[in-house]
Amino acid sequence: MIWEVFRQEKKGDYHTHCGNVHAPDREMAKQFAAIQHGRRKPTNSIWVVPKDEVGEIDTDDVPFGGTTDKAYRWTTAYNLQTEQAREVEESDSEQQEAEKQRGEA
Amino acid sequence: MDIETVKERAGPREFSPGDDLPEEYRKAATRMIEFHANSEIMGAYLERPFIRQAPSIDRKLAFSAKVQDEIGHGQLLYRAAETLGIKTREEMLDDLAEGRGKFLNCFHYPMDGWVETPMIAFFVDGAAMRRQATLRRTSWEPYAHAMDKVCFEEGFHVKHGEDILRTLMNGSRAEQRRTQEAFEEWWPRIIQFFGPTDDKSTHHDFAADVGLKQMTNDELRQAFLDMYVPKARKYGLEIPEYPRVSQNDEGRWVVEEDDLDWDEFFTVAKNNYEPGLGQINGRARAQEAVEWVRDVIEGDGAPAGGRSPQAAD
Repeated sequence: MIWEVFRQEKKGDYHTHCGNVHAPDREMAKQFAAIQHGRRKPTNSIWVVPKDEVGEIDTDDVPFGGTTDKAYRWTTAYNLQTEQAREVEESDSEQQEAEKQRGEA
Repeated sequence: MDIETVKERAGPREFSPGDDLPEEYRKAATRMIEFHANSEIMGAYLERPFIRQAPSIDRKLAFSAKVQDEIGHGQLLYRAAETLGIKTREEMLDDLAEGRGKFLNCFHYPMDGWVETPMIAFFVDGAAMRRQATLRRTSWEPYAHAMDKVCFEEGFHVKHGEDILRTLMNGSRAEQRRTQEAFEEWWPRIIQFFGPTDDKSTHHDFAADVGLKQMTNDELRQAFLDMYVPKARKYGLEIPEYPRVSQNDEGRWVVEEDDLDWDEFFTVAKNNYEPGLGQINGRARAQEAVEWVRDVIEGDGAPAGGRSPQAAD
């Protein structure tokens, strides 16, 4: 049986997928995951999930983000030329980063 | 874990669903997140009619996207609250429909015209974002994670709201005048967004001690005023005479708190404000109207799905 492994580096971080392990049951899966994925990189917590329980849709199934121009959804569409609150600026730069990554993908 | 240990350990994103947390913490976190979730939903319902009333196709698209985002934020937050094990999402939604669920003061007031939209989409969202940014450091990890996504998206709402205000204040004389009138009506409610000053706040101490709340009402209100009073003036809005607002020696904006109607605030907070009941009952009717959808999805004869979610893109 295959178990997908999600590792969290520090308390409060997101658990992100880092690989999978063979194991007959949940207890063994946790042990194997700790050995394979929790030793070299900083690890605070690990989740194991049976592979069969993971649902997936990909770009063949659905056009993520839609098929039309949705520029109006992004902070970058509004050029106000005014000083913004710190938290609005943060959102702005996070969105610019996401836009860049989408462009690269 | 006992409450003393919680207070000792309290820090950003410190506690996650795997931790054995005392009921006092879980109840306080539930109250706070449920209030936040309810506010997202009630705000979305308040703004929804303006998708139809938007003055251009660009505004309509953006406004529709924003309302959709707010509903999504509500969903994220109900999940973060539900994980505390005190109330289920169904219980929270039913409490909201039946007038027991509490939510933000501003969303109890009806909105009548497009000139009012920036009062919510710029000022209230700007205030909300100030508060939400600090909650990325809350001690309940699922709440902080929800705030990551909310803050990512919310910048668009605030900038779009500012863009609406800019357009209105560069419009006809009549538009400018009606926008000013809307501002005068909403301004005191917007200031009350952050609640009464700290010495009158009931829940602050505990929430701060266990790391749920990261800043006091006073600090948040101060940061909001310092940023948004100059913005209002920049667009030509006149700050109403009451509540008295002035700049102190350090250049920071202060409000005469006694000029605000706190009786109304607490009536609103208890869901006893008559126009607000219209908002609550309106959403309750919407919940009832789509009950058959939930029944179909959750009932025995549930459809198997299989269609790609085109309509949701």
